Amino acid sequence: MKFTLSSLTLNQKLALVAGLFGFCAIFAGSPYTGSTATINAKELAVMVEKEVDHVTVDELADWIIKGRADYRLIDLRSAKDFDEYHIPGAENIPIASLPDAGLLRNEKIILYSEGGTHSAQAWFLLKALKYKNVYLLRDGLAEWKDRILFPSLAENPSPEEKAAFEKRKEVSKFFGGSPQTRNAASASQLVMPKLPVPSVSAAPTGAPKKKKKEGC
Amino acid sequence: MNAPLFKFGYFGEETGLIIAFIIGIGFGFFLERAGFGSGRKLAAQFYLYDMTVFKVMFTAIVTAMVGLFWLGVLGVVDLSLVYVSPTYIIPQTIGGLILGVGFVIGGYCPGTSCVGAATGKYDAMIYLLGIIAGILAFGEMFPLLRDFYYATPMGQVTLPQLFGVSYGVIVFLVVLMALGGFAGAEWVEKRLAAKKEAAS
Repeated sequence: MKFTLSSLTLNQKLALVAGLFGFCAIFAGSPYTGSTATINAKELAVMVEKEVDHVTVDELADWIIKGRADYRLIDLRSAKDFDEYHIPGAENIPIASLPDAGLLRNEKIILYSEGGTHSAQAWFLLKALKYKNVYLLRDGLAEWKDRILFPSLAENPSPEEKAAFEKRKEVSKFFGGSPQTRNAASASQLVMPKLPVPSVSAAPTGAPKKKKKEGC
Repeated sequence: MNAPLFKFGYFGEETGLIIAFIIGIGFGFFLERAGFGSGRKLAAQFYLYDMTVFKVMFTAIVTAMVGLFWLGVLGVVDLSLVYVSPTYIIPQTIGGLILGVGFVIGGYCPGTSCVGAATGKYDAMIYLLGIIAGILAFGEMFPLLRDFYYATPMGQVTLPQLFGVSYGVIVFLVVLMALGGFAGAEWVEKRLAAKKEAAS
């Protein structure tokens, strides 16, 4: 009997195609190397420009309140600073030990440092090591203190700003901060919230904010 | 353009949910067209009268596997970004058995019960209520189950890592297994059909 391709049923043809693809797969090498062989400078630049490389403190606070667990929050500061205060859920990995800290390449990793510089540098470091899903906390812990822990109301606030501030107060309380209101006499010193873990008494690390004085 | 599209930031979470919704509707539609909205057809799999479930599921596995493998080789999909759920071998085996027993008794699995309910089948709706009750019970009991739930962790392992062979070899072996399985399934179906014919 003569064998022709057209004598096969559709299912047999599909099986043949699958078999061929499967057989060739043996010789195709690893599928993991395809897209991650080199740093794509252009791609990185576009990511920075599109601002998809960072999360804001508000987003992060929202995730923590909602109990999301699909990310790892990395504190790049020294162990001493970490012990004094860190954002809830953070892990301490000093920047020098980042490459061999055992982070997985398919995890969502969020980096923060005191300001924005170290985390941005660490971001490029991880990108170069083919970590794709890395983000940095915009403006770092300084912004976290300013906006989440010790939010303050702008001078001459509009009603919208006032409403937003009420929301911020709730968020601030959740994280153990203290919203800075105009008539609060005790606001001259910012006290960092105590960590649940045994730690040295939290020293006020934030720059003391100017008390806002204005007539009512 | 690189995939996974979401992880490369081509769209945000909200858009992602809309896309998931559309894909979900499509998934349900094709399940229904394959006859999976019927508890009879699904249960028949376990009595080996009708191997459609086996064939459809294994076809889906092979298509997805071959597709992901070759797209990975071509550099379109970055497989290191595709989430692999961690393995907890004993709790997951027992969970799988419980799900399987529920599948045989109820005639649906979670996805197909939604399809059945959407096409107006009462048994599927009751099955869905059962799922919701089960989710609630599991959620409430979770503090008691936590230790077991996280027992025997193996991390995010894949078959190539586990067996120490190359990815391509695993792809080939699974394809062979599927093709052999399809041929075997047709053979079983024909035999049982012949038996039925002879009996009637």
